[in-house]
Amino acid sequence: MHYFSQLFQYDHPWAHVVIGMWHKYPNPHCSHVVTIDTLDRSVDPETGVIRTERILGCKQKTPIWVVKLFGGSEDAFVREVSFIDPRTQQATITSVNLSLSQFATCYENIRYSPTHDHRTAFHQTAEIQSRMTLWRGAADKLESWLVQRFEQNAQLGKIGFTDVLRSLWEAKEGHATC
Amino acid sequence: MAHSLSEQCTPLKREYDACFNAWFEGYLEPAVSTSARPEERQKFAQEKAAEYERNCGKLWVQYRECVQKAVKDRGLESLLEQARTENPLKDAPPAPPAESS
Repeated sequence: MHYFSQLFQYDHPWAHVVIGMWHKYPNPHCSHVVTIDTLDRSVDPETGVIRTERILGCKQKTPIWVVKLFGGSEDAFVREVSFIDPRTQQATITSVNLSLSQFATCYENIRYSPTHDHRTAFHQTAEIQSRMTLWRGAADKLESWLVQRFEQNAQLGKIGFTDVLRSLWEAKEGHATC
Repeated sequence: MAHSLSEQCTPLKREYDACFNAWFEGYLEPAVSTSARPEERQKFAQEKAAEYERNCGKLWVQYRECVQKAVKDRGLESLLEQARTENPLKDAPPAPPAESS
């Protein structure tokens, strides 16, 4: 099992970051995310919490040994469930891989919460684990490859989202002052 | 806006996404700053949930129908069902104690 974690702060208030969540893709820094679909969404009339289930389609070069051993392809799908709670000002996003899930799982958790100085804390964790029914050597190799890919994508995601938030809110603020 | 799993659904997806985003942008900031009184909060949430249904309900039904078929056609249904069984995620994960302080 590999564990990944990063903390970061976005220089935007919580509501702006959470509005930006829906504008993150398409993103030149994260060109591996090619499709996004909402599968389910509810607005709780009691609590105001919005729950959204989406499926993300990714296209990224896959090493030949992964394709050979596990039958993977360039197309990979991820299930993502998010909760946005305006009352507590918490947004959480949980993602898990659908592709190759019989061999390994990558559980990712993201949380956006407001800071005291009107910025937004971003806390990302991930657990990557191969299913132990596999031949040990192959399982370890698959796990390391997934970790490496996850870390690369996590960095690109951060850079990409920073750009999205900047252009989204600069454009809006620009319009407001015109 | 990103594409849909199926090119056929992309126009429906974009219409729905645009509707949701417009609604959401009008919802979130007032929802954050609305009075802390529980009954006022609830009234606001009820009104806004009804407004979402009124504005985007029809678009959602059309888009969902299209995307459900696309999920089937791509053979993703059983993988999704398995993921939902393993982790339904019906409620938000609890806030870690270290962050809520």
